[in-house]
Order: sequence, then structure tokens, then C-alpha cells
Amino acid sequence: MPIGCCGCCSAFRPRYKRLVDNIFPPIPEDGLVKANMDKLMWYAMNSPDKLDRIGEYLAYRLYRDINRRKTGYVIISMDALDQLLVSCHANNLNLFVESFLQMVQKLLESTEPTLQLRATQSFEKFANIREDTPSYHRRYDFLVSKFSSMCYSNDDCPDTSRQLRTAGIRGLQGVVRKTDWDNLGESIWLPTHMEKIVPSLLYNMQGNTAYMEVPTQLADSTDNHHNQSGEGEKEPHVLAEMCLRELVSRATYGKIHTVVKPLLIHLDHEGLWVNDTFAVQIFKILMHSIQAQYSITIIELIMAHLNEKSIEPPQVRTGIADVLSNVIPIAAGECIGPSVIEIINSLLEHIRSSVVGRSGVGVTKDEAEAVYQDTLIHALGEYANHLPDYQKVDSMVFILNKVPGSDRVDEGGVARPEAEVKLQHLLLKSLLKVGTKYTTEQYSKTFSQSFLVRLMRLSVSGDAEVRLTVQHILHTLLDRHGNVHKLSTPTLEVTKLGLTLGKQVRQDVNFWKKCGNDILLSVQENCELTKNTLANIEALYVTLMLLLAEIRSDDVIVDILRVLFHIQGVAQSGGVGGASGIWLHVVVAAVMMVVSLLVPTLKDHITEVIKNRSDKSPHLLPQLQPQYDSSLSSASIPENLIFDNAKVLDLLSGTSLDEKRLTASVSSMKRRHSTSQHSNSAMDINTISVDVDSACSSPGLPRRPLEEEITFESLKKVLSESPEQRRRAEVEEEQRRQVTQAFLTDPFETVVARIQPDALHAKLAEIFSRLPPPPPVTSASTTTTTPPTSCDSAAAMIVSPPTKYQLPYPDIFIY
Amino acid sequence: MEDYKFLFKVVLIGNAGVGKTCLVRRFTQGLFPPGQGATIGVDFMIKTVEIEGEKIKLQIWDTAGQERFRSITQSYYRSAHALILVYDISSQPTFDCLPDWLREIEQYASCKVLRVLVGNKTDREDRELPTHVGEEFAHRHNMYFIETSAKEADNVEKLFIEIAKELTQDSKVGDLSPQDVSNVPLPPTRETRSEFPCCSRWMSSSSSAT
Repeated sequence: MPIGCCGCCSAFRPRYKRLVDNIFPPIPEDGLVKANMDKLMWYAMNSPDKLDRIGEYLAYRLYRDINRRKTGYVIISMDALDQLLVSCHANNLNLFVESFLQMVQKLLESTEPTLQLRATQSFEKFANIREDTPSYHRRYDFLVSKFSSMCYSNDDCPDTSRQLRTAGIRGLQGVVRKTDWDNLGESIWLPTHMEKIVPSLLYNMQGNTAYMEVPTQLADSTDNHHNQSGEGEKEPHVLAEMCLRELVSRATYGKIHTVVKPLLIHLDHEGLWVNDTFAVQIFKILMHSIQAQYSITIIELIMAHLNEKSIEPPQVRTGIADVLSNVIPIAAGECIGPSVIEIINSLLEHIRSSVVGRSGVGVTKDEAEAVYQDTLIHALGEYANHLPDYQKVDSMVFILNKVPGSDRVDEGGVARPEAEVKLQHLLLKSLLKVGTKYTTEQYSKTFSQSFLVRLMRLSVSGDAEVRLTVQHILHTLLDRHGNVHKLSTPTLEVTKLGLTLGKQVRQDVNFWKKCGNDILLSVQENCELTKNTLANIEALYVTLMLLLAEIRSDDVIVDILRVLFHIQGVAQSGGVGGASGIWLHVVVAAVMMVVSLLVPTLKDHITEVIKNRSDKSPHLLPQLQPQYDSSLSSASIPENLIFDNAKVLDLLSGTSLDEKRLTASVSSMKRRHSTSQHSNSAMDINTISVDVDSACSSPGLPRRPLEEEITFESLKKVLSESPEQRRRAEVEEEQRRQVTQAFLTDPFETVVARIQPDALHAKLAEIFSRLPPPPPVTSASTTTTTPPTSCDSAAAMIVSPPTKYQLPYPDIFIY
Repeated sequence: MEDYKFLFKVVLIGNAGVGKTCLVRRFTQGLFPPGQGATIGVDFMIKTVEIEGEKIKLQIWDTAGQERFRSITQSYYRSAHALILVYDISSQPTFDCLPDWLREIEQYASCKVLRVLVGNKTDREDRELPTHVGEEFAHRHNMYFIETSAKEADNVEKLFIEIAKELTQDSKVGDLSPQDVSNVPLPPTRETRSEFPCCSRWMSSSSSAT
């Protein structure tokens, strides 16, 4: 092109070229010629069709100046470009933008830092312009590549290096903004771009002291970053963090993995999982920036990454698990439905594979593995902590179902594989963790039938540690008033503990009717076991105390008294020897003390026994000692030192408490839930004396006891029924009861023997029915001949068939 | 206006310290920077060469050899037209790592990428790897091979020119307009490559040069 050949020719050149030429001063240092620039802009705005030509010409001049290394003019060209870009209308920019981007690229290709910085500045301005119809064949892959490589700038001059890095990050931010706005063009979310962008951002963040801080401070510091956003120069890491946040907040569901994958890979390569808070911080940033509904996806991706790393050293896995435990709470609020169980299941699977897959490797490895398991449990706990309460119940049931040994009664004696024992411990620990985060409101909601049954089954495990953990789980679930931490060890000075007592609530009473005995039975059995540690005994004490404090019902007190006497009996008879026996006495004394406060009539007796003990054998009173003098025995304690069952029974009869519960055997108590004395009614069918263990699991028996409610209807019935009817009903009742009793208690042979005549009876009846009916005449004659008696005989006939058929009835009923 | 017929992306990979940056510097700037520090992340250079009267623009991405930058460097393989895999002829370990690098290429780069094996530092007295070892390796893995010295400027120009020639030829076979080539990240199908024994052609010329 014949440009600038001589001054006189300029008159014949196109106007736009003259205008462009005029903005360049004779000496580059003077900068843009303001007045001429205004003219150019005026021209460009009035004739937008010329804008493309202007761009092309500016680009041409720029290339020439770069090649001639006239940096000053290059900068001026860029200034002019910027102004044109901003002031001209967005909808006719398309072709102009093409030349603009070419110029930016050209500048970025040069090795001169100043030009690179200038190009980034211009690009940033451009990125902030929202185009209505951006060209969809625009390409940004060079820009992404170049800006990413600028993020790693390692210039000899630290200042230049920092500036270039900052520019690189800003450039990337610009590309992200630009391409995210326009849906038609190139997707920035392609892995090939993200694989460059994400590591470049992370590279500028890692190693910075801002991410070494304790997490609580980070929240503040990030806030500060946001506050500073109005200010000029920012540190690269601050910018990078902002860019990452922006990137993540723009990510939609399908694109999250393209961001997170390179991030995980980068952390792998840089070895940032181990002994570094950086990974945790990064993921926190991610979780807080991402659109909330997608946060669970990140958790899933970390989980998947953990799966892939299953052969890596435990330290790496611990690092990942640690990240998980730190970020999981952030996502938990968004997590609903099946994904909850999925996540819990996945965590439990990791625990399991850690236990099963690697048992029996070197000691150091085991230690690291244990750290890993603890971290996973912690993650689980953190997760559960942020679930809504109703989901916590579900998750507890789910975890419990995963505990090996919860589905059958633990024999204790049988040697189990080491891994299974360990897994049982770990899973129970997890359960405890979840339980701790759960706040019980209604027991009936917390303890579903199957949950309680499994828990109680584990509570009598042969493993003392398991028993202890189960008691702890029980404590945390029972405790509604923050009493657990006040109760650590038995004491007589109960009043000083400052326990908070619950209110008497009908639901609690109902719960107790339903499940109270299961719990007490487990406590009782626990006391009978010989291999209890001090901690076990203390835990049992806490359980009893919590029951007293939480469920305010007279029945609870009486039931607990019954258990106490049983425990005392066990210790007294020498069933449990040594220190354990003495411990039992101590626990009994401590709980008795509380009972005496709750039931004033018992106070005298209890204080008397306690006084006697403190005089003669203080070892039978709290505190618990880990060891006792071998001369001290728990068995055959003198009469005046033990609590007297008969006396208590006597004292209770004068109160509202139902002293008969005290004498009831455990087995019959187990199924009897009626408060009234009408227990010898039809529901007696439920008072089956069965073996203690199988009671929990026999499927054939109806689990839910029939509760006899005193309703208006029942009262009305009592009043309306004539005494005659009632007596007859009672007779029937009695017969039925006898039959039931017979079937329940008699050996099978006798039952069979009793059935036999009935078979005969049935046969006879059949034969009789085949016989021709008696001539009607006779009957007619009888009725006619003896009218006065007809009524009687009719009555007899009416009455007798029922009696006749009444006898076989219960048998049929049973069958 | 800048006018070039084709634009190709060339990526250099290889262990740390084999001389990737020096090769690039020698080619683009004509200098050998003594005491060059380790590359951080990815470096970028541009050079326009003339092949048969046509201007060819080469975008050269010089990656860091260090393992820790693998996450960023890998992302650059994908869009490359040519990959230059460099080893140090005086260092057996850098040669031993080649299979690992090939695995990386298989995993991250396009299968049609032009692959060139370069034994650098022929100026060194303490050669550990005879030329034929490199040749055999290159032949086995269907790569081009050349030995260079960035210090002595030996074969450096030739390396890049040959790459440019090869890529131009392929592009012409594919009959793509320059615009398309610069946009499409991969060169067109290169069935033609096996037809002419470039490998041996390069080798003979390189051996004659040393």
C-alpha cells in the first residue's frame, strides 16, 4: 500500500487513514494527540461502517511499529484502540474486534513485558464489554495458553515477574468472562482450557502465607480481599483466588468436573495433600463460591478421587479425607434424599477397605492408616452434624446396620477375625460421632424399634470396648439436658451435680412402656458380665442416672429399683467377684441415693444403709477405685449394709408407686406394659415367658404390646354391663386365660393330649350330623305337651350350645 | 498486515535440564544463555520461518521438565501440532525416562501429532548414548530423530525447519486454508508419513553433520 510516501499525497488518501495518522505525534513520548483522537472518534461514531477499516489500518501500523521496535507508537495505537472500543457501539464491533484481537495477540507474542502488560490491559477492557452478538468463530485458545504461561512468569526482575503474573491472571479472568457471556462461541469449559487455567491460578495461590493460616482467620482474610477489590494493585494470589471464585461461581452442573478434575490432578502433582492446609483452603473457597445446589457434586468428585487413590500411601488418603471432613459440612445443608445414604455408605466403605485391605502390614503403616480412619470418621461426624435431625436418625440406623455383629447375638467367646473386631469398633465410633451431633427430642423418634434392638444386642457384646461404646451412644442419645458431662463417676453428692431434670411427658412414659425394659435388661446383663472395666461400670451408672433424670415417670424409678436389687443380688451372691463386685455395690449405692431424693419414703432406709456402709466398709460407697484390697469381698455383705428389698417393698406400698413392679420377674415384666391391674385379660397372651435373649429376636411374637387404654367407651361398658354379664364374661375370661396359660406353660405333649378328645369330639359331631334328623313330631309334641317348660328348655338350648361350643373355641383360636 | 501461510504449535518436552529452553532460545533469538535457570510452568516464543517462499509461523511452547509442573505442561500437549521430545546424550537417566514421556504423549496428545526425538548436547565430551541408540529408539516408536547442540547451534535451525516443512507438507496434502490450520488444533491426517522415510533422511543428514 502506498502510504506516507510524501506529504502532498496525504490529501488523496482515504479520510480514515488521515485521521488515524494524525493521532500519532511526531515524538512517541508525547502520547496520543488528544484533539485528533477526538476527531477520529467522532468520525468512527458517525460512520460505523468505517470502523472496520480503521481497525485494520491501526493493526497494520501496529505490526509495522512492533517490527521496527517503536514501542512508544505501539502503546499509542493500543490507547487509540481502547478508546474506540469503549466509545463505539457494541453491535457493530464484530469485525473491528477481529483486528483488535489480532493486535492483542501480536503484542502477547512479543517478548517485551511492557507490550504483554499493555495487551492484557486492553483485553481486560474488552472483556468487560458486553457484546450483543459476539462473533461465534472467535478463538481464544491462544489467549488461554499465553495468559496461563504468563501466570508462571519467572522474570529476572521480581517486580516484572509479579506484574506479568498478575496480568496473566487478569487475562484469564477476562477470557472466562468473555466466553461465559457468549454461549455461541468457544466454550471456556472445555477440559483443554480448564487444564491450563486452573493449575495456573492454583500455582499463584499455593505456598502463599494467606493459606497457611488457621481456617477461622481465613474467613476474615477472604472478606478483606473482597473489601479491597476497589483498590488498584493486588497480590497475584488474591487475584487468582478471586478469579477462581468467579470461575467456580459461573460453573454449571455439567461443568464442575472440568474445573475440579484439573484441580485434583494439580494437587496430586504438587503433593499438596500431605501436611498442608492449602488443599483444605482451596476446597473451602470452592465450596463457598459454587452455586449451592451443586456443592454436593464437589463432594462426590473428592470421593471419587479418594477411590482412585486407594493404593496411594495413607498420608495422601488422610489428606484427601481431611479435605473431605472440612468441606463436607458446607455441602451437607444441600444434601437430601438418597445422596445422604450414598455419601455415608461411601465413607463407610472407605473405612472398611482401610481396615480389611490393610490389616497386618507394618506398624508405622498401621498408625498412618489409623489416622486415616480417624479422619474418615471425623468426616462422617462432620457430615452428620450438618444434616437435618430426621436424616440423622436415618443415617444412624444405616450405620448401625453396617456394624458387623449387630444382626445377631454376639457369643463373645468365639474368636472373630481381627479385622471384623476393628471394623466393629470403628463403625461404632462413627455411630457415636453421629449420635453426638444429634439432639434428641423424642425418644420414640430416636429409637426406632429395629435400631434399639440392634443396639441392645451390641450392648451385651463380649467385647468390653464395644459395650462401652454402645453405652456412650446410649448416653448421647438419651441425654437431652446436657447432663452427661456432669455425670462422670458415681458419687453420693448428687445435689452438687446440678442435674437438669426433664419434665414429665406422656411420650416418654409411652416410650418407657415400650422400650424401657429392653434398656434395663441390657444394663442388668452388662452388670452380670465378669470382664467389665471401670469405665464400663461408670458408663452403666451414667445410663441409669440419665434414665432417672430424663424420663420422669414413677415406673422408671420402680423399674430401676428392681434392677438395682438384682445387681446387688448378683454382687452379693458372688456371681461377679473381685473389684467388679465391689464396683456394682458402689453403683447401687450411688443410684439409690438419687432414688432416695426422688422418693422421700425410702430416704430413711437408704441413708441408714449408706451411713452403715460409711462406718463399716467405706469401699462400698463412691468413689470407685480401680483396685481394691484383696481382702475386701463383694459377696456376703452383712445384712445391715445392703439395701433390703422387702423393706423397700413395704415402704413403697404406702405411696403412689406401683410396688408390684418391683417384685415382678424380669421375664414377665418384659412384656407387661399395662399400668392397671387388669392385666389378666386377653392381652395376657402377650405375657409369655420367653428366654431373655430370644425375646429380642423372636419374630413370631407381636412386638408391640397391646396397651389397655381407659377410654370413655370402656368406662361406659363397665357401667352399662349388668353384674350377671360381667360375671359370665369373667368366667369366660377365666377359661380363656386357663387355656392360654396351658398352652404357654404346659409341655407340648400335654397340649397334644388335650387336643386329642376334641378330635374325637369333632368326629362324633360329624357322625351325629350324618344321622337322619329326629322326627319333628317328637319335638313338636314336647313343645306342645309341655308349654310351661318350653321357655326353660329353650333357654337351656340357647345357653347350652354356647357352652358346648365354647370349650373347643379357644383351641381353635390358638391354632 | 502480518501475513503467514500456516501457523503451527510446537511443544518441547523432556526431563529437566536436557536443554529445551536453550534449543528454543538458540532458534528464536540466536543466543545460548549460559546458566539458564529451570523453566517455571510454560514459556512461549514465536518465530516465523520461510519454507519454499511461504511464511510459516511457529508457536513454540517450552515446558518445564520438572515433575511438579506436569499438571500444567500436560495441558499443552493436546493442542500441539508437533512434539519435540528432548534428551541429553550425556545423561543415561534422561534417555531412560523416554518411555514414560511416550506414555504421557499417548495419554494427552493427539495421536496424529508429529513426534520428534532430539538428542541434545552433542558438544559434550562425555557422551553416554551413541547416536545409533537414539536412532533405534526413534525408529521403534515411529519418530523422527536428530541430534543437536544448542551451544554450538548445531542442527537447531534444521530441527525446526524440518518440522515446519513436514507440517506444511501435511497441511497442503490436507488442502486446508491457512485460517483453518491456525484454528484447527491438529494437523490433518498424516497417512503420508510412512510413505517416505523421513526418519532415515533426517538421520543421515544429522550423522553427516556430527
